[in-house]
Amino acid sequence: MTLVLRDVRVRYGAVDAVRGLSLEVKPGEIVGLIGPNGAGKSSTLHAIMGAVPVAGGEISLNGSSLRGRRSEDVARAGVALVPEGRRIFAELTVEENLRLGLAARRTPGGVEEAFELFPIVREFRDRQAGALSGGQQQQLAIARALVAKPDVLLLDEPSLGLAPRIVDVVFDALAAVRERGIAVLLVEQRAQRTVALADRSHVLANGELRLTLGPGDANDTEKLVAAYFA
Amino acid sequence: MTVSWQTIADAVSLGGIYALMAVGIGLVFGVLRLVNFAYGQLIMSGAFALALAAQWNWPVWAGILLCFAVVLALSMLMDRLVFRPLREQSPAVMLVATFAVAFLLQSIALLWFGALGKIASSVAELNTPWVIGGVDIRKISVVAVAVTIACLAALQLLLTRMSVGLHMRAAALDFATSRMLGVRANRVIGSAVLVSGFLAAVVAVLLTVQFPLVTPSFALRDTIVVLAGVVLGGLNRPIAATLGGFTIGFASGFLGGALPTNQSQYLDSFLFAAVILVLLVRPNGLFTRHGGTAQRL
Amino acid sequence: MTGRLPQLAAPAVLVLGTAVLGQVASSATQVYFIEALVSVVIVVGLYIFIGNTGVLSFGHISFVALGAWTAGVLSVPTGEKPAFMPSLFGFLRHTTVGNVPSLLLAAVAGGVFALVVGLPLMRLTGLAAGIATFAVLEITNNILQYYEKIGPGQNTFSAVPETTGVWQAAVGALVAVGAAFVYQRSRFGRMLRAVREDAPAAAAAGISIYRQRLGAFVLSGVVAGFAGGLEVHLLPLSYRDLYLDLTFLTLAMLVIGGVSSLWGAVVGALAISALDSFFASAENGVGIPGGTLTVPSGTRVIVEGVLMALILIVRPSGLTGGREFSLRWLRR
Repeated sequence: MTLVLRDVRVRYGAVDAVRGLSLEVKPGEIVGLIGPNGAGKSSTLHAIMGAVPVAGGEISLNGSSLRGRRSEDVARAGVALVPEGRRIFAELTVEENLRLGLAARRTPGGVEEAFELFPIVREFRDRQAGALSGGQQQQLAIARALVAKPDVLLLDEPSLGLAPRIVDVVFDALAAVRERGIAVLLVEQRAQRTVALADRSHVLANGELRLTLGPGDANDTEKLVAAYFA
Repeated sequence: MTVSWQTIADAVSLGGIYALMAVGIGLVFGVLRLVNFAYGQLIMSGAFALALAAQWNWPVWAGILLCFAVVLALSMLMDRLVFRPLREQSPAVMLVATFAVAFLLQSIALLWFGALGKIASSVAELNTPWVIGGVDIRKISVVAVAVTIACLAALQLLLTRMSVGLHMRAAALDFATSRMLGVRANRVIGSAVLVSGFLAAVVAVLLTVQFPLVTPSFALRDTIVVLAGVVLGGLNRPIAATLGGFTIGFASGFLGGALPTNQSQYLDSFLFAAVILVLLVRPNGLFTRHGGTAQRL
Repeated sequence: MTGRLPQLAAPAVLVLGTAVLGQVASSATQVYFIEALVSVVIVVGLYIFIGNTGVLSFGHISFVALGAWTAGVLSVPTGEKPAFMPSLFGFLRHTTVGNVPSLLLAAVAGGVFALVVGLPLMRLTGLAAGIATFAVLEITNNILQYYEKIGPGQNTFSAVPETTGVWQAAVGALVAVGAAFVYQRSRFGRMLRAVREDAPAAAAAGISIYRQRLGAFVLSGVVAGFAGGLEVHLLPLSYRDLYLDLTFLTLAMLVIGGVSSLWGAVVGALAISALDSFFASAENGVGIPGGTLTVPSGTRVIVEGVLMALILIVRPSGLTGGREFSLRWLRR
């Protein structure tokens, strides 16, 4: 279940947010997408999810096109998004949030498996999701996405606003997700940790792919900085 | 002021009926952000269906079935033809559109049935009284309350236990994210419209027992009052909206029955003045947790 | 300013054309033309607020009603008043004014009422504004219906001098159109449009959104009150005539014509009036090429409702696309 983007363009009115982006995410790998603010990273994920119209290019999952499909159909095709800011439903309980994730699931099953990766979520299952801390909500958001048993997992800045200790938990979980053979596209601001974790990381600036880095480049600060300001 | 047990019973039953209408309006608002001005006309069409069935000498249960069929069909038609194309527009535009639909339906009814209306004599015997503790209470008052409680209980089950209900609640909170989780937009909206229509049909049956004369403006005033109640209670919170509907129904029925006519004339003005006050001070309603701020700009 | 003159001239030409047609029409149909011109005044008043601010108002007709009540009560000869207005306040019972003063007072009444209502309400927008202004309509209708000290209550106005002829209505319409044009070209109109385009930016530039909206609201109230005065001098009115049906009709006229332009307001008012009059006479049997057309009563509201819904769905900017008249259209 490989996710392929080819020459994707996203336009908001007169502004080109994404200009001709091409990348590939294969099962069992994490591909990072890093870059400065406004580079078009979030727009790329929203384009895949069908939340914004795609002005050009191709988006396909295992050969079948995702472009132009409604959000709910993309989700039901096996693509799950962990949105920026988590977007959990604060007034619903934790369990209800997870049950929502079942909407896109293609095989029968329940929410119990989500508790394996994130035991903290089980502890709070009957509490209102709004009562959880930022880090716990992030774990809930990822658990909710995984409940759908997706083939592709998209994450939009999961480490935003989280304490370093919680970021460890999240990134460890992502490594475990990779083990399970899911294709992961990780959009992040924390360049270094992303480059270290991912199988490869693309640097996006001004809507264009500037550079691709491997885990070995994680400690090469010069290269990272140059890529951002290219 | 003359307060009898019948007055109180009437007030409670009217409160119940208004609560059902409030839920009907609130459900659709939750998923569509659309205030359906034409909700009263849905009830009216159900009432006319009952009147026609009476005219054709159908048995009561058949008339009720016809009522449900007509209201549900009309609801779905409204969704398809009006709500769906306008989904991207602002709530104000949608309000104007449903306003147009309301007038349209009323005129069609005027054309078809004339201004004098028809009699819907369904289950008329419910107007006869039971004697409870030495007091005469009309059966319909009790039945209306029982039906209201049953419907609200069923709805609660639907919203909490069933996945379509969960999807509706999520869609009301954050439609875009819900869709990205796989919640099907059309199905959720269609379900809300269906449930809303079902409740309208129930209300049509209950109202025609007490008010058998069905004219094109049947339930028009009730809808306007319920709208006021929903705004007062809180448009975007289902429980609050229901409470708002019940409160206004109860107050309306109680004051209407207890006050002499020359004092109850200006009831509407007080009611709507309260609506304006609430919109200015607590735009999210009286029964919601935080008042919220009016859109500043 | 001269570059924009066609924007004023075009609606004026339509108004004058209608007046000329009305003048030559038979006495039976003349009233339709006068009604059309009074509708122009109402709808232009509605446009002054909704068109410039982008905020919805369902309460416009309450200003018309107040204007009608003011002009009507003060114009009926003192001897006739007790017949259908037995409980009037002393001052109202003994005062009678002429035609023009009654119209001016109606305009003032509309403006003052709009000010009173607008002071609290102009903070609202969107759905809340729609509901709140609807509440104003309800309150006004309720009070006018039952408060017999200020008017006929549930009775119909009678013995009001029928002074609204074709030319008076035409002058009224021209005044309304002129006022709307001057307003939207003025500093205030332009500030409001800035708010409508981008409210935060306008506020940051120092524009007081609240004050500008209030100004538009009051001006629309003045025009509406004036229209009410014209209306009461034209036909026997009751509280029922100044309520939901008229609200729907005038809103439909504006929406169908085009909410954001003066041209749209005038085109919508005249086009729908024409349609309305056609169906009104068709309900009694009207001669068309080929025979006589008779439609059942109530058809016109159905047609108007369908049109309004269609326009909102298919072309929300209205027949005119929300743009002012431009000479370019003629050159094509």
